[in-house]
Amino acid sequence: MTALRGLLVALGVAALFAVPKLTGNEYVLALGVSFATFGVLSGGLNLVYGYTGLLSFAQVGFFGIGGYTAALLVTEQGWSLLAGAAAGGVLAALVGLVIGYSSLRLSRHAFAIVSLSFALLCMIVARDWVSLTRGAMGIPGLPIPSMKLPGGLRWRLSQPADFYYLLLGFAVIAQAAIYLVVTSRLGRAMRAVKLNEPLAQSQGINPLSYKLLAIALSALLAGMVGGFFVFYLTIVDPSIFDFYYTETMLIMVIIGGPGSFWGVLGASAVLAALPDLLRFTTDLRMVLYGAVLIAAMLVFPGGVGGWLQRRRLKRWRRPSLAAP
Amino acid sequence: MTATRPLLEVRGLTKRYLGLTAVDDVTFEVEVGTVVGLIGPNGSGKSTIVDCVSGFQPADGGRWLLDGRELTGLPAHRIARAGLTRTFQTVRAYDELTLLQNLRVAAQESDGVGWLQSLGRGSRLRAAETSAEARGRDLLSTVGLAEYAEAPAAILSYGQRKLLAIAAGMMARPRLVVLDEPVAGVNPTMIRRIEQVIHQLNAEGVTLLIVEHNVDFIMSLCRRVIVLEAGRKIADGPPSLIRSDPRVLAAYLGQARAAELGHGHR
Repeated sequence: MTALRGLLVALGVAALFAVPKLTGNEYVLALGVSFATFGVLSGGLNLVYGYTGLLSFAQVGFFGIGGYTAALLVTEQGWSLLAGAAAGGVLAALVGLVIGYSSLRLSRHAFAIVSLSFALLCMIVARDWVSLTRGAMGIPGLPIPSMKLPGGLRWRLSQPADFYYLLLGFAVIAQAAIYLVVTSRLGRAMRAVKLNEPLAQSQGINPLSYKLLAIALSALLAGMVGGFFVFYLTIVDPSIFDFYYTETMLIMVIIGGPGSFWGVLGASAVLAALPDLLRFTTDLRMVLYGAVLIAAMLVFPGGVGGWLQRRRLKRWRRPSLAAP
Repeated sequence: MTATRPLLEVRGLTKRYLGLTAVDDVTFEVEVGTVVGLIGPNGSGKSTIVDCVSGFQPADGGRWLLDGRELTGLPAHRIARAGLTRTFQTVRAYDELTLLQNLRVAAQESDGVGWLQSLGRGSRLRAAETSAEARGRDLLSTVGLAEYAEAPAAILSYGQRKLLAIAAGMMARPRLVVLDEPVAGVNPTMIRRIEQVIHQLNAEGVTLLIVEHNVDFIMSLCRRVIVLEAGRKIADGPPSLIRSDPRVLAAYLGQARAAELGHGHR
């Protein structure tokens, strides 16, 4: 990362943290929470799909597992929110490793199908394992959580701004983790596996281990953000596994450009706000949303990231550099 | 064992597809520092041998060892790490990565830097990446692609991609490189270029096994040639003997024309 870009990112993050000071508007804060949450979900999906080439429908399952785990551990075992969310993330990562290891030995397609079945199964389990999950009614009225801060202070998350800070703070950490991986040579190996798996194998790269790394990291982050998010909603019920989340994540990654960190992050910001920005016309809201998506696919068939990649190619294909 | 132990030993390699025996009890060796050619008509089992030996297809019988180390049954990435790399007949490259990234990624599993070290930006990682970059640039000059080091591989022509693939196969300093049809579909100028590159790499101590359709290319490049027909080895020796071997001529030309001609055929 260049110094200039680093400065811009730092300024952007600082500006986002300053929002609650500038406006107490709960609606703006809700948009921020939505961006932070969906940004982590789409960033994780981008790691798995955009960088490693595995179409995964399982992310929503990890998200919900994290939500249920955190809710149950906090309400029934008296765990702190942070510990509950962390446990949710770890459980999600372990589940991700199990479905990844079992299906990837067959093929990528097997993984896509298994991940879809897994997400559907999660919803059924949440609805029907009543003794654990309390069934379709879910677990409403989640308590106001509090967190220990350094210096012996306790932070009660009673205001919308508190959740805004929590989710934004976690999102910054999660995005930094994703950024660290995709810009390291681990990310380079993941792209190699996506772009040409046999070639990667012929160079000593074990595709399975990189795929599992991507799945486990994305599941950990999705599970943790799910754990925080349900306390913001104050309820967790089977609708946490709704296909709506999968669809939104996929749209963000596809519009942003699979394999483009900044593209997907930007698309997450725009698309988290877009359905609400279009609220001025309630009747046509979703129609306009659809129109924007279609327009985006026509203009940027490979996403914003793909468009940048094509521009880079064009520069090298200038006649003066034509192949001999 | 003595110093004369072959680098690659293949013993009784067999591969069957349903009822068809594609490779039938093939045994051969590749000595250290040599360039050995493997030729044969279509369907004689050349590519199947490459796929089996490099771990891309399971063999049905036989063993193979690299410098005395058993490779039989290992997965492809373990065979590559053991020092046997290969290129592909259908040229493969990471189109979206630059040429230099294409080469650097090819070296990263063999430099002993672990995952956690890869995430930190420590000195061990930096040293490994710096030396990989230097080697990558060297190899790009060797194959004549240095000016495109920062360009995405997608811009390369077919022949240039073959050169990139050869360079990538060399990145991890393998003991043995298997080139699967390095000049198939390449124009004559590029064929000469590839030939020079192979000579240069061999002079630097790389051992190569070259599978080819282009018999002239192999005959001029290799001092030892192995000939396959219908999954069996029918000849193994220097080009001069291979050219006049009646079984080889029969395999390539059919019995009748072999009798008329009596020398190599493209």
